[in-house]
Amino acid sequence: MQTAENYDQAFNALGDPTRRAIFEKLQQGPLSVVHIADGLPVSRPAVSQHLKVLKEAKLISIQQQGTRSICELNKEGILAMRNYLDKFWDDALEAFKALAEKEERLDNN
Amino acid sequence: MTETMTSIRKELLVEASQETAFNVFTTKMGLWWPKSHHIGTAPMVKLSLENQLNGRWYSTHEDGSEVEIGYVLVWDPYNLLVLNWQINGDFKFDDQLTTRVEVQFIAESPTTTRVILQHHDLNKLGSGKTIQMMDEGWGMIFNLYKDLTNQLA
Repeated sequence: MQTAENYDQAFNALGDPTRRAIFEKLQQGPLSVVHIADGLPVSRPAVSQHLKVLKEAKLISIQQQGTRSICELNKEGILAMRNYLDKFWDDALEAFKALAEKEERLDNN
Repeated sequence: MTETMTSIRKELLVEASQETAFNVFTTKMGLWWPKSHHIGTAPMVKLSLENQLNGRWYSTHEDGSEVEIGYVLVWDPYNLLVLNWQINGDFKFDDQLTTRVEVQFIAESPTTTRVILQHHDLNKLGSGKTIQMMDEGWGMIFNLYKDLTNQLA
């Protein structure tokens, strides 16, 4: 079971399109940092920074194999989509409530 | 996985009539949906839900493309809306996938509505490559990795 803090971290980590793209790439299997950077429109240092965020959110793990760093999905990351949706619905419903209440006030005035 | 892991339940009180709550949820979804949340390749300009049984649920993007999210499974104004969410754990649309988003609108008073949203079947979201890989263990993962590195070499 992950903590509420992990949920938030996972959610924020996947809120960024580049990090989502990396997360998707890793769904296919482990990859070296060089292969992750291939095809992404960002610099290598930026990729490293994104990987650090994903690692801190416990979505991926990074292992050193000789001179290469190999990244793979953290097994806890299987919960990532659920966590993502949980936070997503909170945000969406908060915005829905605000709009519904505004409409109601407009209707009554 | 336990039920709490495979579904999400949200409950909130909205200071609006049942009719307003239902209408805003369905006809004005594009106004309250968080714009950053879509799976298109270009920024999202609009999110639409066709207000009828089997109605399309999709996003429209700056490059003119449309991306499906799912469709309406139950259309029962102003009580119940059930949507089929067909975006899988790889953040891709999958027309074979069914995960139900059930939204109940319960009139607590003429100006207060209890909204209960439940997103069920979340276990199916990870039923693709991710779960397979994890179930079949390191041998499988290693082979996938080898194939991929060979392709990229």
